Amino acid sequence: MVNHRSDLTKKVGGFTKPRAPLGLWMVGAVFFLFLIIPFFVRSPYSLHIFIMVFYFAFLGTAWNLVSMAGQLSLGHAALLGIGGYTSTLLFMEWGLTPWLGMLVGACVGGIIGGIIAYPAFRLRGPYFALTSIAFAEILRLYVENTEIGPFGIPLKAAMGLLVPLRGHAPAVFQFENKEAYYYIALLMMFVAVTICYLICRSRMGFYLAAIRSDQDAGEALGINSTKYKLMAMVISSALTALGGSFYAQYFFIINPDRAMGLAMSIEIATVGVMGGWQTVLGPTIGSILLTPTSELMRAYLGGATAGLDLMIYGLLIIIVVLFLPNGINDPLMRLVRRLEAHVPKTKIRAEKDTE
Amino acid sequence: MTVETVVMAFVIGLMLGGLYSAISIGLSLIFGVIRVINFAQGGFLMLAAYSSFWLWKFFRIDPYLSLVIVGPLFFVFGYAVQHWLIRPIFIREKALVVEPLGALLLTVGLDLVMANLALFFFGSEYRAVVSPFAFTTISLGFLEINFTRFFVFLMAFIITGGLYLLLNNTEMGMAIRSVGQNREAAALCGINVYRTYDLSFGIGIVAVALAAASFIPFIPVSPAMGGHLGIKSFIVVVLGGLGSIPGALIGGIILGVVESVGSLFVPGTTAYILSFVLFIIILLFRPKGIMGVLGS
Repeated sequence: MVNHRSDLTKKVGGFTKPRAPLGLWMVGAVFFLFLIIPFFVRSPYSLHIFIMVFYFAFLGTAWNLVSMAGQLSLGHAALLGIGGYTSTLLFMEWGLTPWLGMLVGACVGGIIGGIIAYPAFRLRGPYFALTSIAFAEILRLYVENTEIGPFGIPLKAAMGLLVPLRGHAPAVFQFENKEAYYYIALLMMFVAVTICYLICRSRMGFYLAAIRSDQDAGEALGINSTKYKLMAMVISSALTALGGSFYAQYFFIINPDRAMGLAMSIEIATVGVMGGWQTVLGPTIGSILLTPTSELMRAYLGGATAGLDLMIYGLLIIIVVLFLPNGINDPLMRLVRRLEAHVPKTKIRAEKDTE
Repeated sequence: MTVETVVMAFVIGLMLGGLYSAISIGLSLIFGVIRVINFAQGGFLMLAAYSSFWLWKFFRIDPYLSLVIVGPLFFVFGYAVQHWLIRPIFIREKALVVEPLGALLLTVGLDLVMANLALFFFGSEYRAVVSPFAFTTISLGFLEINFTRFFVFLMAFIITGGLYLLLNNTEMGMAIRSVGQNREAAALCGINVYRTYDLSFGIGIVAVALAAASFIPFIPVSPAMGGHLGIKSFIVVVLGGLGSIPGALIGGIILGVVESVGSLFVPGTTAYILSFVLFIIILLFRPKGIMGVLGS
């Protein structure tokens, strides 16, 4: 078989700047730091903040796969809710361990995400953004008002589902210490970023880049744009649904207002947009900056300031769109490049621009 | 189930549909010209409803009278938002894309700021005006229609008619239509495209503000109302055809009738799903909507 990838990389390499491994070394160093943090940080609350950082980096990266195809999703919370509800219901009703339940949830999420997106992806224009927000809101309203769903599924309306507690039971994804969740969340983030990186390096990544910059030109070259948008959406939905199961197992409760609400969709999107959407590391950087801020704000300001966090998210979106259209990632990458300029030229290995 | 029940549900659906139409016409106009879905439409709607409410609360101005204040006020508001916030994105990205996602995202941020500012300052409680027309009814044979609801139904037609006159009989209207059809050709003919964007955005916001001021006699005002009604108007504009004003009118009425008559046969919560299914069916089989003008 011909190796298309190296072929394409070589070609594209001619047009992009050669890239020193410095950026990769920095990413590796940060990842290593995350690996050893639990040995030094013991406070459960601090660990909780790190878990949330990884978790939103994971969700933002999954969300970003759709924006790589030039589409804006404002309803990813629906997929998160679908994943969480699936694994929790399977555990409650049939005693299936959430480790398997989350895979089932990912399949269900991927299928539903694909079905919802298909009609919009065939079209041009803002149809997907409209579909995603409408779907999420209608699903939330439905679950909030439905005690017993079709086929007798106990959706429990607005109260949500409580995961039956089993104490320290790794076999059913329940741990008493935060460290376990910490490493699971870190692994999830790592997997999502790796998937995103591999997709960007693959033929599909180039197709997505072509579709988002000029769909007509891409189609003229024979790219089936509906198919590749749909593939991105299905992978993104499945990952997000996986995140929903983690949410349920971490908080032991999943309810439509939080897990399917617009606020969650917006949080995911803000993390992605702020760090730099349509980039591999953007959502992770966005989450590292944004999540601790919002967690601390919630902890110290409490419920006294209803809506303040969403207001700040809204302002951040406006500011980023107006002044930093490529996100925080952009100036950071420029900084890395300037540092790279100081690295002796002989050490620079030509590699595709992965940012 | 008697025939009378169905007829009654149908008429209630018509009134509800009038409401949906009235709040969607502005959204469709803005999309038709600027090619950006204004996700902040719900936010503008909510703020207009609050403006009308406060005018009633502090100055005892009847909501129907407040139309003449809220309308111009929100024209300036919409014009300013487009001029200062959205226009820079168009100028920056004009060489790259026709429908910038950045502008879409910006309106999402704007909606969040508006909805949560309202939550922050006004609180989440529902507030209602006491209208002298609240119990006035219009008798139509065996059924009686509440006047306030009929007024909104009428308002949908007034807004459509007003826009029709504006777009067809004035120079500004011609400029707006030509930019909507082909912005490059319009620019070549000497039309200031960005100024036309500002004007259309302002007019679109006036349309939604007028709708808001005319429905508050029977819909209580709350910060969350924008989100709820905003979703409905998204469904309406896709149903009628993005960018088509008669489409928004007809799409709204169809959605209202489907919801109202549908809830006779299925439980209320399933009726929510029904409207979404309708939305998906339209996307699948007639993406340009009932009165579609896409691509023209």
